[in-house]
Amino acid sequence: MKLILLGASHHSAPVGLRERIDFSRRGVPEALSVLSEISDITEVAVLSTCNRSEIYAMCSNPVSVGQVLVSFMSSYHDVPESELAPHIYIRHDTDAVRHLFRTAAGLDSLLVGEPQILGQVKDAYTTASQHQCTGALLNRLFHWSFAVGKRVRSETGIGEGAVSVSYAAISLARKIFGSLKERNVLLIGAGEMAELTATHLRSQEVHQIRVASRTAARAAALAAKVDGETVPWENITTQLTSADIIVTATGSTTPIVTRRDIDVVMQPRRDRPLFIMDIGLPRDVEPSSGDIEQVFLYNIDDLRSIVQENLTRRQSQLDSGELLVEEEVDRFVIWLRSRAAIPTVVALRRRFESIRSSELSRLEPKLASLSPESRQRVDEVTRLLVEKLLLAPTEHLKSINDQEMVAAYADALNHLFNLPDKSSDNDAEKRPRLIPPVARSPRTR
Amino acid sequence: MNTFPFALYLVASVSYAVHFARRSESAGRIATVTLVLAALTHAFVIGMQTMQVGHIPFVGTTGAVSAFVCLLALAYLYSEMMTDERAMGVFVVPLMALLQVIPAITNSVAERPPSLDSPWFAVHVLALLCAYASFALACVVGVTYVLLFKELKAKHLGFFYARLPSLQVLDQMNSRAVSVGWFFLTLGLVVGTVWLLQVQSNTTDPRIQAMSLLDPKIFIVLLCWVVYSFALYARRSIGWSGRRAALLSTFGFTVLLLNFVPVSYFVTQSHNFY
Repeated sequence: MKLILLGASHHSAPVGLRERIDFSRRGVPEALSVLSEISDITEVAVLSTCNRSEIYAMCSNPVSVGQVLVSFMSSYHDVPESELAPHIYIRHDTDAVRHLFRTAAGLDSLLVGEPQILGQVKDAYTTASQHQCTGALLNRLFHWSFAVGKRVRSETGIGEGAVSVSYAAISLARKIFGSLKERNVLLIGAGEMAELTATHLRSQEVHQIRVASRTAARAAALAAKVDGETVPWENITTQLTSADIIVTATGSTTPIVTRRDIDVVMQPRRDRPLFIMDIGLPRDVEPSSGDIEQVFLYNIDDLRSIVQENLTRRQSQLDSGELLVEEEVDRFVIWLRSRAAIPTVVALRRRFESIRSSELSRLEPKLASLSPESRQRVDEVTRLLVEKLLLAPTEHLKSINDQEMVAAYADALNHLFNLPDKSSDNDAEKRPRLIPPVARSPRTR
Repeated sequence: MNTFPFALYLVASVSYAVHFARRSESAGRIATVTLVLAALTHAFVIGMQTMQVGHIPFVGTTGAVSAFVCLLALAYLYSEMMTDERAMGVFVVPLMALLQVIPAITNSVAERPPSLDSPWFAVHVLALLCAYASFALACVVGVTYVLLFKELKAKHLGFFYARLPSLQVLDQMNSRAVSVGWFFLTLGLVVGTVWLLQVQSNTTDPRIQAMSLLDPKIFIVLLCWVVYSFALYARRSIGWSGRRAALLSTFGFTVLLLNFVPVSYFVTQSHNFY
């Protein structure tokens, strides 16, 4: 059994095509039910986000399954194959494992380190698992990817720092005030940016949001959206006094709030901090206001440069993240290869056990005179003998990383101990393996 | 015996530094556990010394420094538990390791002159040591406040922004530490004065006779009391909080630290019981 990944993402396909091949439009379960009907596929999962549509499948012939999956994507989404094919990528085995691990860790995301993707990978697995589309290998692979995602996030700074202007503003406010629950917010202007910031602030459960706009109707509309109240435009300077956070986003060509206004406001506030986000262009707050003690004035460029710094910092963590992913891919592959030896180990143990049992049966007449305790002792001693004989070969077989070497050992053992060619397990075929079956070894476990 | 706690303080310092620099949770846990072990070992050492000489080894700068470090460790651990914030450790714990060098090298307990055999004396020293520990915490919190404040004002968010709690939290911690410290400082000074009035007329010990407002150690500690009293007054009545309060507490503790070590060893005529 081999792992195959087929998909398209923001790296390979334009947004128009990504929208058309989005599995969530018709529902992932429906796609899973069609995919699980494909004869060579034993396990399958579908990862569908706004930036990627991917199918992970276990099969015995990845070349033909790859073709089948391209045709499936084409017919399922009603996109001509000729249009789809150039934007599709196909990965096999280790490359597919690496791709999933990178995706779960956010290394493959449009916004590097974004946290949603890990949840989306988990959802993809849960859906596939609930529809009985996963087996031993995809189960292990996906759970491993969750751990990789967490590890990369906790051991690198890949997910740190705000990467949007409005979130950067909230992070700043929290760094100044701690909890924002008792803080009053004054919004001056009711544009799109003001609304976005106000929505974020509302999610932080700020005490009160007041909205002032030259157009009273727009102020009322925004106030209603963010559960705030409106204040008359003429009263802005008096409203400044009670605000801890001021967001200005008007189209005014002259400053709305002057240094003198802030000086007046800060007198009764004394050393209580005041955070001003001036996201208007041209600026709404006189820049020298930021020189006043305990006034933290950030304009749109300041916030953008913070976002840029955070993005750069995240990019600088990419290499560390890639190294961690590579380490985990190696570990996963070692685990997989150790599984390749399992059928041989099981067959060997069965062979030894059958010899032991038949020898004990043959000696049955001679052992009949022994007491039950002594017979039990004989049974135990022979069992221990077999265990000890097999201990070193078992461990050695499991520790071999080289696939060809495992096959060579298995071949030798099959010949030396006359191991059976086929497994007697009925469910062996349902247990897929990434590594090709070892020659003439039974496919158990 | 003081070498064991010193070694543990050193390990804890390194662990807190690793935790701060790499934001490693496991290093943080190791740091806290090591510091708890250091404080317990230190308390055990002080307990053993108490059994050995029959009184708490507060007498002399060495004993006082050792007790101060132990109290500072306990005060810091308390604040770490209360705020669930380990970032301060990198600033406080190295100070403990540094000061613990003195008892680790000296490693002897000063004899207590008969004139100091009074419960008033014990309360006086213990209260002042608690005050010093609180002021040390306030100072460290103040320094971190200023560092974060500068980053926020300069709009260059980096190292401290990513690692320190909010300005508001730091300001509250500073305010509490200064209030607690001021209470103990006042208590220590009042008890010391009462005890001095009792013993000064009955003893010929020149060190006790030298205790007056003009003695450098007493003069400076009173100056500190004025500084911290002003800090409290300024916060409540003038509205000085934030950076100004942080700088005041840092200034106050710098003076205290000078008084605690160099003045005690080399200048004062009154408090040199070593």
